Amino acid sequence: MSGTRIPGETRGAAITVIVDGAPVPAFAGETLATAMIAADRTAFRHDTRRVARGLFCNMGSCSECLVTRVADGRRIRACLTEAADGLEVRTDG
Amino acid sequence: MADILDVAIVGGGPAGQAAALHLAGRGLDIAVIDEQPRPGGQILRQPPASFTVPGWLAGRGYARLKHQLARFEALDDIRWLGGCSVLDLAPTMDGLSLLAATPGGISRIRARHVLVATGCQDLAVPLPGWTLPGVMSAGGIQAFVKSQRFIPGERILLAGTHPLQLIVAEQVVRAGGEVAAILFAQPRAGMIATAMRHPLIALRRAPDLAAAASAMATLRRAGVPVRFGAPLHAISGMDRVTGAVTGMGEIACDTVGLCYGFVPQSALPRMAGARMHKAGPAGGWACAHDHWLRSSVVGLSVAGEALGVAGAAAAAAGGAIAGIGIARDLGLFAPEQAERMARPHRHAFDTHRAFAAMLDSIADPTGHLPRPDAETLLCRCEDVSFETICGAIEQGGSANAIKLATRCGMGACQGRNCEPALLRLLGDVGRGDDPGFTARFPARPVAIGDLAESG
Ligand SMILES: Cc1cc2nc3c(=O)[nH]c(=O)nc-3n(C[C@H](O)[C@H](O)[C@H](O)COP(=O)(O)OP(=O)(O)OC[C@H]3O[C@@H](n4cnc5c(N)ncnc54)[C@H](O)[C@@H]3O)c2cc1C
Ligand code: FES
Repeated sequence: MSGTRIPGETRGAAITVIVDGAPVPAFAGETLATAMIAADRTAFRHDTRRVARGLFCNMGSCSECLVTRVADGRRIRACLTEAADGLEVRTDG
Repeated sequence: MADILDVAIVGGGPAGQAAALHLAGRGLDIAVIDEQPRPGGQILRQPPASFTVPGWLAGRGYARLKHQLARFEALDDIRWLGGCSVLDLAPTMDGLSLLAATPGGISRIRARHVLVATGCQDLAVPLPGWTLPGVMSAGGIQAFVKSQRFIPGERILLAGTHPLQLIVAEQVVRAGGEVAAILFAQPRAGMIATAMRHPLIALRRAPDLAAAASAMATLRRAGVPVRFGAPLHAISGMDRVTGAVTGMGEIACDTVGLCYGFVPQSALPRMAGARMHKAGPAGGWACAHDHWLRSSVVGLSVAGEALGVAGAAAAAAGGAIAGIGIARDLGLFAPEQAERMARPHRHAFDTHRAFAAMLDSIADPTGHLPRPDAETLLCRCEDVSFETICGAIEQGGSANAIKLATRCGMGACQGRNCEPALLRLLGDVGRGDDPGFTARFPARPVAIGDLAESG
């Protein structure tokens, strides 16, 4: 685990997203970025040297958190994308 | 939606809200567009609607802004287009045209008047190790805490020159997180001396100074070291952050927040061809404006941090001025009436901007920025190293020429991260008058397929 959900507050319903084929627990309302970091998946993409890269700005402006949505192959910003039950993404792009 | 809106406001932060509040209730067709799902902007990044957070941002400093946000959310004649990223802005015959990526695809929005209130972003500061997962902007860490109610690391180090890192650290500690240390690269004596040179300005914004002092006290009680004259040199780790090399020696941590100041998010006015000028000491471009905050492009006004970073109170005051100005241009207010309505906001705007100028000099990163090494990536999107860029600078040529030669600035962030660093390097060799990259479409990443579908 890396990072902590602040205890004592109510989050949305428990859901599951799929990152690189593995189930990752999340709560409705969380961004994909939160769910990924909370599950210790700090690599969001891989650069031209195949080196893992992490989220940087968390506000939509840097594009470091681009993950690939498996359903349509689109690159989406994990810091702006709400986790949805069954949403599947990959970080190898 | 009407074929052509009367007003499109980009950004639902304090500036955009204030403008909307002055334009609402007058029979206008208005939309507020924001890529966040809920209004609030960076300072009031709201938790998702599915969370219940008792006492959210209860501090006194947030009360006025929260009150404004509640009034904005109660407006029923303004369309809130949350989750929509504006990709392009261009003048047309009868106003301006925006392209937005919405949850339902790409959509073109036309408006007679556009207010750009897109705020600012943390200055991106290249240093060895800064591309390791776990290195974030301090504002990004804060947004996790404020909105996602999540502490994005087990042991967080904050480093930079901007006092906002004290507030971020306090919020992390209050939420139960661990802060390894807060490092200010500049010496404390210089910061105090700068504040002392402007005692009246400092006094008028006493609550902000009190907030910083209270943050210091909380951190002291929590045993978090706050150090001055303690620069960050490098971040270490193999495939993620494990520590940092600093003026105080090695510090173990899994997350680093960089806090060297803020730069305006001014891609949209730049794309529309508005006249810009250099922003504060952290860099970036601010939009030139007249006293109604109208840019040099007809129909385009700008408010908030996109005018130059001055904090939330100045953003709200500026938003009010811009909103009144647009209503005036639409013929809803007589000039004298508009002037009378704007007066208190102009006073607030000037006061807060004076404070911001003082904060700028306290937080000035000039001379305190870490040094990249040869391999440090200056351009994170296209993986262009410091060494490559230095080589290109030696060849002569403008930022645009260096972009073409090296791909620095060609990636998904459109140069937002690398441009300030590149311009600083050009400044170091006497080319400080470089106009920077020509702003290019799209302002936010978008799939080519989506654009094709939009026709
Ligand atoms: C991450 C971060 C944290 C901050 N925290 C604090 C703080 O705690 N205290 C403080 O005093 N100041 C803080 N600041 C400074 C802060 O920017 C101002 O205080 C205040 O929020 C500025 O108001 P604004 O209306 O100008 O912009 P913002 O509040 O930043 O609002 C701008 C809005 O525009 C939206 N936007 C930007 N570009 C686009 C686009 N292309 N398409 C669609 N929407 C877009 C953004 O999503 C955002 O909601 C922070 C800044 C940042 C970047
Ligand atoms: S982390 Fe910067 S865009 Fe998502």
